Amino acid sequence: MQELLGRIARLDPSASLGLRVIACFDELVVGHVNTRGLLAAAASLAGCPAGFRRISEAACVRVGPKGDLLDGPAPEVPAALRLTTADGLEVWLERDGEPAANDGITLERLSLAVRARHGLVRRDDIRRHAAIMLDRQSSAEERVAAAEALGLTVQGEYRIAAAPLFAQWQQHPGGPEDVIPTRHGPLHVVVLPADHDTVVASPCGLGTVTPVDRLHESFRVAVVALRLCSPPDEPLVDAHAYGGLLTMLADTPEDSHQPDVERMAEVAAHPWGLPTVAALVATQSIREAARHAGVHHSTLQSRVDVVSSTLGFDPLDGLGRARLGIAFLSHRLRHSTVLELPPPSS
Amino acid sequence: MAVGYGSSVTAAPRPEFDAELKAGLAVVGGMFPPTITPALLDFMRTSYASAPIDDLLAQRRIERLDLPVPGHLGDEIVVSVLRPVGLSGPRPGVVYAHSGGMMFGDRFSGIDLVLDWVDVLGVVLVTVEYRLAPEHPDPYPREDVYAALEWVASHHTDLQIRLDRLLVAGASAGGGLAAGVALQARDRSGPRLCGQVLDYPMLDDRGLTHSTHQFDGVGVWDRVSNETGWDALLGPARGGTGVSPYAAPSRAEDLTGLPPAFIDVGAAEIFRDEAMAYADRIWRAGGDAELHVFAGAFHGCDLFAPHTAVGRRMIHVRNSWVEKILAD
Repeated sequence: MQELLGRIARLDPSASLGLRVIACFDELVVGHVNTRGLLAAAASLAGCPAGFRRISEAACVRVGPKGDLLDGPAPEVPAALRLTTADGLEVWLERDGEPAANDGITLERLSLAVRARHGLVRRDDIRRHAAIMLDRQSSAEERVAAAEALGLTVQGEYRIAAAPLFAQWQQHPGGPEDVIPTRHGPLHVVVLPADHDTVVASPCGLGTVTPVDRLHESFRVAVVALRLCSPPDEPLVDAHAYGGLLTMLADTPEDSHQPDVERMAEVAAHPWGLPTVAALVATQSIREAARHAGVHHSTLQSRVDVVSSTLGFDPLDGLGRARLGIAFLSHRLRHSTVLELPPPSS
Repeated sequence: MAVGYGSSVTAAPRPEFDAELKAGLAVVGGMFPPTITPALLDFMRTSYASAPIDDLLAQRRIERLDLPVPGHLGDEIVVSVLRPVGLSGPRPGVVYAHSGGMMFGDRFSGIDLVLDWVDVLGVVLVTVEYRLAPEHPDPYPREDVYAALEWVASHHTDLQIRLDRLLVAGASAGGGLAAGVALQARDRSGPRLCGQVLDYPMLDDRGLTHSTHQFDGVGVWDRVSNETGWDALLGPARGGTGVSPYAAPSRAEDLTGLPPAFIDVGAAEIFRDEAMAYADRIWRAGGDAELHVFAGAFHGCDLFAPHTAVGRRMIHVRNSWVEKILAD
């Protein structure tokens, strides 16, 4: 993977490779990968052997960049390529020459992952500031402390941009960034000042502007925005365009019983279903919606009649417009394929 | 105006990726996004271009000879002959087709995985710079590989290759090309092959299998990427009735008389079902096929994450089969 990191750096010199190293170890810890697997990942990322031992014991495990177990005792490695923890574990990288740019972060994450695997640390205890700040289970004091540690101004207002690690960025915005393990897989988050210019990335969700102690809400909204993306047509969704709607969606349990959304799935079963609804929510009149959808207005009218009878209300009248819009967004969320979804629980 | 919700896609249940491989995706996704549209072609041609390999070859004591050979319609293409330094007699030969969705990559893409055959088994490997779609649609890529195979067979003495131990191999798109070349060699009474190695091969343009629809937006090479690749190769013919079984070997009705096949594939990739079906149909036709399906494996995981338990096992299982067929 060292070679792949090199490719990523050549494609996008501003990309943070450290974030990918972090995300990689987050996934290894979540997946309960054993010590050999952890060392193999470190060795593969570093392009040189990685090792582990308990300082109280002579025996060690050494793994090469292709995951092969290496024989022989632990060699002498300089202090910069070695990390010893207070509980008596040591990890190292066997690199000839100077440490490389990501060796530090690799060793740090490797040692935490090995400690977690050996039951010496709880997964929760190895979380970083961003994860604490963006977790609604954290207390307000913990969140503010984490925000300060990240260099945010307590009185300031910010918003969260969320993207998968495979997102394409036209340029990387400044601001603290990290990867957060979520049920949708690791997400790349960037904390942006409230007045930050538009971000150009695909796919990417922008959350609401909040004070620092409520950035966990901005994050949850950003994830909803991200899941509404539909590249290449809609690579980025900005929560601002939806007022409080995305906050509402973020607060709605996904498996809640919502008859409008279930009927929307029936509308979506027609090949013209979702494009028609998309045109209706984006426009004022049947004629305008017909132009938007690129069909004759009489065709659109007959489709609206089907939509209307399927949903059981008039989607163009009074609260019907709001119900249509919410059901449309909820349907897209339920069927979002822009991120990895968890396997359905049986 | 285009509106992006044209298809009602429901996320299908799918097998999870292996934990080590999932971690690998945090890196892989940066250079090989899950969903490749035509707009990403230039990006992929840069990101998937092979790294310089001369140092690697020197370490492994492999010599490289770049030669112009006649491709499809006699146009000149390039092959690289990779062989152990200091050969002293004819060796088994492999004609290799690289990966890259028919649209990107070059003759050294993913070559790591087959270099073991050269330095451990003493094989002479000929890797083909076949021309890429969409600039060169079907049949260019496959006919280039086939022409290279014929060239190897007719120059086997100079190349120090044993004609009775000639194998075709390829990964992903290259696996599809290798399968097509094996069918053509049978039907044209071409060079006699002793085996075909089809790594997670791209065999079916129709996109109808269940697995094709299970991995939208995740892993490596999803349904949309596959449509992009087949569109590049076949244009509007994709999925229709006029597609040649050599281009899409899943369409071949007759799978008798083929060389022994080695087929491996991930359980967590879109090619799972077509690879399994191809092996099954070879067996039904009375042929010899060995099929390995790796749990939790995404497409090409042994290329991208060879250090993982799954990656190592895939490489080991494949190399043992090749050893069985080719070694002295």
